[in-house]
Amino acid sequence: MTIVDNIRTYLVKNPIVGVCLLYYLLMALMVPGFFSANNSWNLVYNFIPLLILAVGQTFVILTAGIDLSITSIIAVSSVVGGYLMSSDVGLVDGSKWSMLLGIGGMLSVGVIIGLINGISVAKLKMPAFMVTLTSLMFFSGFAIWITQSQNIYNLPALLVDAPYHSFLGLPLPVYLAVLVFTSCYLLLNKTLLGEWVYAVGTNIKTSWISGINIPLTLVSVYVISGVCASLASLIYTARLETGSPVMGQNVLLDVIGAVIIGGTSLFGGRGKLQWTAAGALLMTMLDNSLNLVGMSFFLIMMVKGAIILLTALYNQLGSKSLTHA
Amino acid sequence: MSRYLLYPIWILLVVCSCSHQRERPLIGISFETLQTEYWVASVEAVKAECIKNGYDFVVAIANGDANRQFEQINNFISLGVAGIVIAPKDSHTVIPIIKAANRANIPIAVYNRVPASNLGDYVTVVADNLEISKNTVTYMCELAEKSGKKHQALIVLGDLGDINAVNRRAGFNQAVAAFPETIEVVAEVPSEWNQEKALAGVTNALQANPDISFIFTSSDFLFPAIISAMKTADKYYPIGHEKHVIFGGFDGDAMAYRLLQEKYLDADGVQDVFYECEASVQAVIKKLNGEPVESTIIDPGFVIHQDNLEQMAGKMWGASF
Repeated sequence: MTIVDNIRTYLVKNPIVGVCLLYYLLMALMVPGFFSANNSWNLVYNFIPLLILAVGQTFVILTAGIDLSITSIIAVSSVVGGYLMSSDVGLVDGSKWSMLLGIGGMLSVGVIIGLINGISVAKLKMPAFMVTLTSLMFFSGFAIWITQSQNIYNLPALLVDAPYHSFLGLPLPVYLAVLVFTSCYLLLNKTLLGEWVYAVGTNIKTSWISGINIPLTLVSVYVISGVCASLASLIYTARLETGSPVMGQNVLLDVIGAVIIGGTSLFGGRGKLQWTAAGALLMTMLDNSLNLVGMSFFLIMMVKGAIILLTALYNQLGSKSLTHA
Repeated sequence: MSRYLLYPIWILLVVCSCSHQRERPLIGISFETLQTEYWVASVEAVKAECIKNGYDFVVAIANGDANRQFEQINNFISLGVAGIVIAPKDSHTVIPIIKAANRANIPIAVYNRVPASNLGDYVTVVADNLEISKNTVTYMCELAEKSGKKHQALIVLGDLGDINAVNRRAGFNQAVAAFPETIEVVAEVPSEWNQEKALAGVTNALQANPDISFIFTSSDFLFPAIISAMKTADKYYPIGHEKHVIFGGFDGDAMAYRLLQEKYLDADGVQDVFYECEASVQAVIKKLNGEPVESTIIDPGFVIHQDNLEQMAGKMWGASF
């Protein structure tokens, strides 16, 4: 089998990767400035937080759930991190450990909200949509209430400069993204928990009969999603040099869109993290290229919404044809 | 085999990318929102000024998301814009944006909001919010004084994380402080630049203080919410009516102009959008030409009221909207 045959087979099995390549080529030909070193780095910087969020969301959607609370986790994490790290607020002002404490605090927020969501879904048998929607409302309000709508500034220089520091020629956020993606990939594809995630999403009753620990699986995926949201919040907070109670409030469509465009089934049990990565890349390229051609924000939203809808429809038709086959 | 496929594609890409040479330099226009007429009028005025000076433009709207605005500015930089005019989400999140523009050596003019830090190279174009609101409220206080009655006052505040809202409140406070015998401030309603919050806050304040007869709003775009609350409280009457509430605003939008014409509004502080937008684009062009530019350009604005309405309407951006 030649390399071309291998590529063809790979693209047939992973169509979203082909779509990404095709879109990249088309935009490089049509959009001035798209195919440049500057813009490539720009794509990478914009892609990283979305990738991290979408990876977390994929775990939840694979179990046939959904996590709508990620934007509130981003906001609360940003605020908590800000309070712990800012020299203005001074909770641990002057301490050389303030940054570590801040990052720890931010991750704890993700774990705690993830636990609340997971336990509500797994133990209390509440619908994921309802649980995470109410979490979204409660914690978004909480972030605004504790800050009184005020942003938090004067974060440590080490944190705000981190996105621009490089190691071996690559910016630090790239390492964070690689670490998160690799860990999650191994967890999903090489561990028992990963098998359980797919099994629970495919058929929860069969999983129960098979002796799979369903509560542990469900709680784990919401905690993973929460931690990923906190890590994305860390990047957003660092690059805006601000702890904000409304941080990331418009990112939910992009995250769910990335997962759906990647081909993960909203009904659970089918999807891959590499598809999600391609979906996130496509969403990032869409935003970037349409912005470069000067399309208005509202038209960009319409285009993205239409693409997500068409992909969901395509996936739905695909799963129906599989069922009938 | 694959290299024979890939090489021509990459070469084609490079050639095509290089072939996209613009005839005219490009200015990136980034606005945090188009939520109100003020921002729409501003974007249009900046575009017009770009065209007038022989520049192309690209516009990005962040829809109130500071993170998206940061990404959009980076997109502008990738696109190779010659300069940037930005109306930022707030005075702090614009700082990393200024740093990014400075790193790329692209001149940047910050429209309508003063950055919280004076580090970096940028030009700020901003209305004198404190003086304009002070002069507007002073005019309203003089009307109140002429009535010979003591008035209970209400101010609708903006987002106090926004320096413009802070200065408008300060201007209001300084003005009413000069009329202690006439004005008693009984309510400060926070709106966070949100119609629903303004409606709920003003409704509650008018119920708690039914004798309020003096209302100033920190932005004209909140008029619909305030008027709705005033109607509910039976306080919305034109000038000359015994139940008329002395009413003033800030911005100079189309609704303010209509309310002035219909004699429901006593005075309005007007930001000179045309002047500010022209100054923003000119600041970028001067920077590109290496000419000196003041770091802060102040729009003195003006107060429009019933006595000078015909005379000043031509300068009020809302009158031509």
